[in-house]
Amino acid sequence: MELTMGGFLAILGAAVASMAGIGSAWGVAIAGMAAGGVIAEDPKKFGPTLMLQALPGTQGIYGLLIAFIIMNKIGVLGGNIAALTTPQGLMFLAAALPAGITGTVSAIWQGKVAATGVHLIGKRPEEIAKAMVYAAMVETYAVLALLASFLMVNGIQI
Amino acid sequence: MNKVNIIGLDSIKTELMKRIMDLGVVEISSQDTKLTDPEWTSYVKKDGNENVVNNLDVKISQINEVLNTLELYDTSKRPLFTTRKTISSDEFRKKLEENNSVSENVAKVLELNKSLSELCSEGNKIEASILSLKPWSSYDIPLDMTETKYSSIIMGTIPNIVEIDELKSQLLQTTDRCIINVIGSDKDQYYCSFICLTEEKEDILEFLKQYGFSAVIFKDLSGTAAENIIQYENSLKEISAKRETIDKRITELVSCKEEIQLFHDHLIIERDKNKILSNMLKTDTTFYIEGWIPEVSKDKVQKVLDEYECWYDFKKPEEGEEFPILLKNNAFSGPFDSITELYSLPSPSNIDPTTVMAPFYVLFFGMMLGDVGYGFLFSLGCFIILKKFDIEGTFGKMLKVFFWGGISTMFWGVMYGSWFGDGLVVGARHLFNINLPLTYVWVDPLKEPMTVLLVSFIMGLVHLFVGMGMQAYMLIRDGKIKDAITDIGFWYLFIIGPILWLAGDMIIPGSPLPVIGKWMTLFAVIGLVLTQGRAKDNIISKLISGVLSLYGITGYLGDVLSYSRLLALGLATGVISSVLSLIGSMVGGIPGKIMFVLVFVFGHTLNLAINGLGSFVHSARLQYVEFFGKFYEGGGDAFNPFTKKTKYIKIKEEI
Repeated sequence: MELTMGGFLAILGAAVASMAGIGSAWGVAIAGMAAGGVIAEDPKKFGPTLMLQALPGTQGIYGLLIAFIIMNKIGVLGGNIAALTTPQGLMFLAAALPAGITGTVSAIWQGKVAATGVHLIGKRPEEIAKAMVYAAMVETYAVLALLASFLMVNGIQI
Repeated sequence: MNKVNIIGLDSIKTELMKRIMDLGVVEISSQDTKLTDPEWTSYVKKDGNENVVNNLDVKISQINEVLNTLELYDTSKRPLFTTRKTISSDEFRKKLEENNSVSENVAKVLELNKSLSELCSEGNKIEASILSLKPWSSYDIPLDMTETKYSSIIMGTIPNIVEIDELKSQLLQTTDRCIINVIGSDKDQYYCSFICLTEEKEDILEFLKQYGFSAVIFKDLSGTAAENIIQYENSLKEISAKRETIDKRITELVSCKEEIQLFHDHLIIERDKNKILSNMLKTDTTFYIEGWIPEVSKDKVQKVLDEYECWYDFKKPEEGEEFPILLKNNAFSGPFDSITELYSLPSPSNIDPTTVMAPFYVLFFGMMLGDVGYGFLFSLGCFIILKKFDIEGTFGKMLKVFFWGGISTMFWGVMYGSWFGDGLVVGARHLFNINLPLTYVWVDPLKEPMTVLLVSFIMGLVHLFVGMGMQAYMLIRDGKIKDAITDIGFWYLFIIGPILWLAGDMIIPGSPLPVIGKWMTLFAVIGLVLTQGRAKDNIISKLISGVLSLYGITGYLGDVLSYSRLLALGLATGVISSVLSLIGSMVGGIPGKIMFVLVFVFGHTLNLAINGLGSFVHSARLQYVEFFGKFYEGGGDAFNPFTKKTKYIKIKEEI
């Protein structure tokens, strides 16, 4: 195993990608706080509010997914880190940015939309689908970022 | 949907309304607008029986209270899903006649409930009194003794920011004929008593006021504080004993819950029968109903109306008239009504998109989840629930939707070679040393994402084109063939043209496709520029609008790119599965095997839950935003027939 700057940068990329979890934690918390308030009025709405709360959680998973693909590709998981050049490492870092940054920001905003969705079903429980679609509108961009990161990581030759 | 007008004799009204209710296929609309029309009001007046309705409503809300109470005391195991019990109408009638003690039991429960809440509030009051007495428990002078011939006792509290020793010395400086006792203290205040001469009482009170003193007076209490507390505690015990007996008596009544539910449903039916009268008009000897009947049920209703010798006519709704919406779909697409309903029912002038949407929904759902194992679990779960429980309404329909979604998920799992991701293959190798020959049929999306992405875009394009086709169909149906050509046809060309122009050579090398594409594009551009501004007045703004409309292509581009989620979410499921397999198989030996099983079960449960949710939401979004956006207009009112809206019992009619 050889330690190189490239290897470090690639690991940094994996770290950046998985930090989308910050946004997810934030977004899930925002939605969860709103859900707590609605549950105080009507505990039967636990199921639907939980579904809405879970929606901003996916960005963290997408980030982890990119982190995993990077780690797998550079051999961290097998215990043999490939000797990457610095440009290669930088490429991994760059490829991780969409998942990490878009993931973080979109998760926070999705959390806010999910929170309003929670309020919506507090008053009109039958409109849950609309609340979920509103939240999914935000998620679209996290999905696109995931795709961009995936295709980039996939395309890097080592 | 047919509009129906019925006139009949008053003598058969009750009987007929019962039959119509049994049929449950006629919506009886409100006639309030006719009642403002003098031409109508000179002949008819509003029917109705509001007093009866109100009385029944009161009874129903009482019974609801009773049922809620009994629900709390019912310890029997509840089924996972609550469903209505099905019985025949004869049985329903017979049971109602048998249960002659129902109203008695209802009254009993109400009575018990009332005394229970009274006991509760009494208990609370006593507890509050105990709390206020507690600090004084070491005060051994009877509370009702507040003065003797020459002396007085002052009781009260002082905030504990006051230095009590300083207060004592200050007070003793003004008078030495005063005894100060600090009975107790808590985190906020001191509890003190002052024994002084009656003549100096006012001065001492004045002095104490500076220190934030507030007097405490125990009214209607005799004996010491401690004695009182004991007394109170005894009465608390009595109350709880009483509550227990009441609890027991209510628990005994739980057994008649079913009878009460039956009675509840009976009252609901009676209430609705009376309530519907206010939607009807009457003269002295006849009644008049206006309503809606779905095409399929026309014959059934006609037969009943003939039987009762009513006058009636059926009419198709007039152009532009609003009518209630009842979605009618076949066995496969029927459950997908629920997806459409969640968006909004179609407006009367629109069409029901469900049948066209259903296959796409299933296809996309499966593609995003894309795993044989997950699909199997989904379908099996839904199938078992549907077999075991008679679930009605939206939830039941959703289960059927997920059943089909699961089938499609299995199909895509086979195409992608995903059996719990690679979990089954890795698991077989890790646990039993067997190599399972499970591989993909079409493509491995992790290795060849671009292929799947391209297919996703093509599917998206097809989906969008079908949506635009629906719009074109509606335009043609309404006789606007020109609009269909300019607004839909040109756009078809303007989307297909550039694709052929740019990629035609890759599709069939050496073919004339790029040239055809080029001319298609050119034709479409000219067509769009010339037609899209036709609503404007002068030629310049017509052209400007036409040119600007070309910018609409970006919208279509965005729509198509949106379908990349079909790949991305499928990847998410697959990659998480392979992470799970990797973590699970890190350790060897027996502990490694146990770990694999644990990781497999927990990990896949979580993955299935979160990605199942994701697939449901995102395939709905593709329908709602991309597909419906092309043609659909919601806002219809649901068909709301006059029928038995029972809550606990489903009554089967023998017709």
